[in-house]
Amino acid sequence: MSLWDGVKIAVLLFVAAVAQVSVFSQIDVFGAAPDLLLVTLVAVSLLRGSVAGACGGFFAGLVVDTGTLGTLGLTSLVLTLAGFWIGRYGETTGRDRAHAPYLSIAVVTVLYEFGLLVVHFVLGESAPAGAVFASLLPAVILNLVVTGPVYAIVRRLLRPQAPAELSAEVQLLG
Amino acid sequence: MALVLVSLTLLTISFRSPTSGALHDLQGAGSTVLRPFQIAASRVAQPFRDAYDYFDGLATAKSENAKLRSEVEFWRSEALLNAVAARQEKAIARELHYRAGATFPNGYRAVTARVISSSASPFARTLVITAGSAEGIRNRAPVVSGDGLVGLVSNVYSQTAVVRLLTDTQSVVPAVDVQTNASGVVRQGSAGGLILDEVNKQLAVKAGNQLVTQGTIDPNYPDLYPFGIPIGRVTHAHATDTSSFLVVELQPYANLSSLQAVSVLVATKKHRK
Repeated sequence: MSLWDGVKIAVLLFVAAVAQVSVFSQIDVFGAAPDLLLVTLVAVSLLRGSVAGACGGFFAGLVVDTGTLGTLGLTSLVLTLAGFWIGRYGETTGRDRAHAPYLSIAVVTVLYEFGLLVVHFVLGESAPAGAVFASLLPAVILNLVVTGPVYAIVRRLLRPQAPAELSAEVQLLG
Repeated sequence: MALVLVSLTLLTISFRSPTSGALHDLQGAGSTVLRPFQIAASRVAQPFRDAYDYFDGLATAKSENAKLRSEVEFWRSEALLNAVAARQEKAIARELHYRAGATFPNGYRAVTARVISSSASPFARTLVITAGSAEGIRNRAPVVSGDGLVGLVSNVYSQTAVVRLLTDTQSVVPAVDVQTNASGVVRQGSAGGLILDEVNKQLAVKAGNQLVTQGTIDPNYPDLYPFGIPIGRVTHAHATDTSSFLVVELQPYANLSSLQAVSVLVATKKHRK
């Protein structure tokens, strides 16, 4: 990954994080809101791998926690893990598979919500499992709706890497 | 792994001192840096939001107009009766040398601020506003909009503040029913909506009744909210055999999902404890 790619990823995630905390979080459809930041992070992770995903998740989480003045490090922790995990999925399977972004979003939305629930519970804060379960299906559907256009934009900005540039540590299965 | 450790360290420090310390100040400074970007994003989204509100308003305008006309007739007669009662109340209070506590909006000045971000996840329902300790805002100050109670300031930085919304799981507001004088606490119910809890089953609370903040009952334990801030309207009230209290559901007056600006009530010196 080049330095220019890093700059583009940072700007992309910064814009997505600001839009998420300022605009998208106010949308309420059956108790859920589309998570533009998570979708953007998944797209970046699929296209640039686990290291970029983890770093991007950490950076984007810091922006969110600063923007919402929430507990610093909480969103970073969950997004770092999400970015890393999706990056590994992208590295170990054919990232050009058409269903990869949609499958990743569906799975990571559920895991992200559960991750937040667990962290809040461990911290002794309010962890309303019922409300999380109730908003899970609308959240997955809304995120899937925005996945198509967001992935197309991110793919346009970050051209898919050549096979030689992919991580050498993993064996390609797809 | 290193990033996870850094996240955990930040999380630990931030969790242990959420309202003070170097990290708190650093986060406040970061929020000030982010503020122009957040305001710009809100402004870009504003025309789309306005267009949605316009078409949404058109769809409901006719039925809402008829409903409002009937309400105006009712409130006109109520206002007349209230004006007479208020004049009598003033005279009686003077005669009895009655000492009233803080009452909304007397004894408070409003600091109006723009909403720059919001969190509406099931874990926390909060807003970040563009005013902080520099404008005189203190922790636990009540926050209102033009329609009614919004919540409470839960964290203050120099240029920004966090507002915990009425619908947050940690929010508890002592309230009273204006029509029946039934008192209880407004909080989030198990189904996710707002309820008036701890209301005696014998009281005849009905749908349509209005709820306001209860204010201080015992001067030794002053309430965070002054008496009389409109909270919402009862939508459903019924008693069940299994519950100890009346089940009262309510709809807040303030539209908490699309707030553009709010006013923080800062107590004037006379009413400060």
